[in-house]
Amino acid sequence: MAALTLKGVRKSFGAITVLRNIDIELEDGGFLVLLGPSGCGKSTLLSIIAGLEPASGGDILIGGKRVNDVFPKDRNIAMVFQSYALYPTMSVRRNIGFGLEMRGMPAAERETAVRRAAALLQVEHLLDRKPANLSGGQRQRVAMGRAIVRNPDLFLFDEPLSNLDAKLRVEMRTEIKRLHDTLHSTVVYVTHDQLEAMTLGTLVAVMKDGILQQLGDPQTIYDRPANMFVAGFIGSPAMNFLTATLGGTVDGPELELEDGQRVSLGPDLGDLGAWRGKKVVAGMRPEAFQSCPVDRADLKGKVEVVEPTGPDTMVIVDVSGTKLTARLGARERPALGQSLGLAIAPTAISLFDPESTQRIG
Amino acid sequence: MATIARSTRLWDIVTYAVLGLLAAFCLGPIAWTFLTSIKVDDDIVTKDMVYIPSRITFDHYVKIWTQSDYPTLVLNSVAVTAMTVAICLVAGTIAAYSFARFNYPGRSQLMLGYLVVRMFPAVLMIIPLFIVMRSIDLLDTKIGLALAYTSFLLPLFVWMMKGFFEAAPKELESAARIDGSTRLGAMVRIVVPIARNGLVATGVFVAIAAWNEFLFALMLTTSQGARTWPVGLQLMVGEFQLPWGMLAAGGMISIVPVVVVFAVVQRVMVAGITAGAVKG
Repeated sequence: MAALTLKGVRKSFGAITVLRNIDIELEDGGFLVLLGPSGCGKSTLLSIIAGLEPASGGDILIGGKRVNDVFPKDRNIAMVFQSYALYPTMSVRRNIGFGLEMRGMPAAERETAVRRAAALLQVEHLLDRKPANLSGGQRQRVAMGRAIVRNPDLFLFDEPLSNLDAKLRVEMRTEIKRLHDTLHSTVVYVTHDQLEAMTLGTLVAVMKDGILQQLGDPQTIYDRPANMFVAGFIGSPAMNFLTATLGGTVDGPELELEDGQRVSLGPDLGDLGAWRGKKVVAGMRPEAFQSCPVDRADLKGKVEVVEPTGPDTMVIVDVSGTKLTARLGARERPALGQSLGLAIAPTAISLFDPESTQRIG
Repeated sequence: MATIARSTRLWDIVTYAVLGLLAAFCLGPIAWTFLTSIKVDDDIVTKDMVYIPSRITFDHYVKIWTQSDYPTLVLNSVAVTAMTVAICLVAGTIAAYSFARFNYPGRSQLMLGYLVVRMFPAVLMIIPLFIVMRSIDLLDTKIGLALAYTSFLLPLFVWMMKGFFEAAPKELESAARIDGSTRLGAMVRIVVPIARNGLVATGVFVAIAAWNEFLFALMLTTSQGARTWPVGLQLMVGEFQLPWGMLAAGGMISIVPVVVVFAVVQRVMVAGITAGAVKG
């Protein structure tokens, strides 16, 4: 296993820049998730780490060694692809052992290693089959077997679960987590699924348009998003954004909504003096709301839609002309058109600059 | 319902009638050649047409094989065809792979160039080719003829194989490169086995074209050392004699290798052609 360092990595295809100065430090045994929407450059970054694409600038270090000019085969990495990329003409046994075969490992040793990897992933009974005769989940396991059999310095996963159905995806996610805990491997994992990022990563890099938006542990990214993009991308349903003016009393700053409602922000929001009297965007997660009597509410609004999901009830409330989604208890069923009071802890509110969209408090 | 069924049946009849006619049109000459090859001479040159031989004989086959240079001609054809296919397989596979996978300056122009060669009639190429072959002492040699065939069969091979290579997922090569292969190694170990059906289908096309080629062989060979069977057969037509039976027997013998190759690779070839068609 080895640490991974990216220093100012850039990538351009002609005049089009797809990655701008990416700096990431991943410790030995860490699990980095590259998260972002399609076209954000996350897969390109993974290809650069793998050596399949050359970087236009910057350095890639694996285990402290600069590998920019090292061939993929000499980087001691393993990769699991979105399409699994199993060799269709070879049996599962040969697929898993191909990397060892290429490195000249004797057949007997190879067989032992293949069997060990196959046992770990419970695919021993499939060793003589061809990939075409496997189900999606089995292919996924074989692809992972091919990666772990070599005991590489670095594992790269390129959206490995996106071709699986919902149930299998959850199963395999757990499997990957278990493997990481067992093998203590260093992993770089690309996904556009924020749930995978939150559950698997020890470090999450949120990307957009080739720019690293935020790098941090999953909880920090969820609690304190660096900008409105990260805030909106992480979490489902997405974070609510409410534009208001920052006002304040002696007790501390507060949000003034257009219809006159005021939401206290508490004393702990830091120095917001420069923003007083200016428009700000308040970010509030649906799960941060609780229903309460209207006279004690932080926010009041009219119930527009009620969506019971089983474990929760999603309620869309019109607050001062903005639709806010609140995730309430499973048994709560406010009536349509009813006035609903919502309570929210001041610490659960993120404030953003409406122009730069960056976090201000 | 009844009307629809009747109309469908009518269409079926028409379709089969048209297909039957076409099949007869295509297979008729082959059947006629076969019948001629097993007729005695008296049945071949007659006042009234004799369709079914009065007596079956294999004399023409024995005669053409033992009393003429036909075996040499066939061997020459085999050698020239094998060389053409070998050159196309090696050079064409690498060229097609490069067109399918890499983006480099001049790639499109080069591909267009390959096509342009095939846009001109063969006659136009023969004289320059003749001069080139003469100047490098390859006139009337089997390798010279194979190179001449390559000039017009390689573009076909490259264009067809390019489609098959493009159909192979790029990720497989990436996986192989990470697993320890070089780029060329990934091509040989992973991509070529995947494109095997296409390779066989394209190889057979090239082989048949080289096997049957007449014009280049006529112009570029002058002696029995390199002459191929189509030219040899044509030269058997003398000023005062026309050995129909032997010509027909020679024609039938020449079909055998093609039929055998087809029978062996038929399944792979059909799969290859279909794969290419879906991709295209």
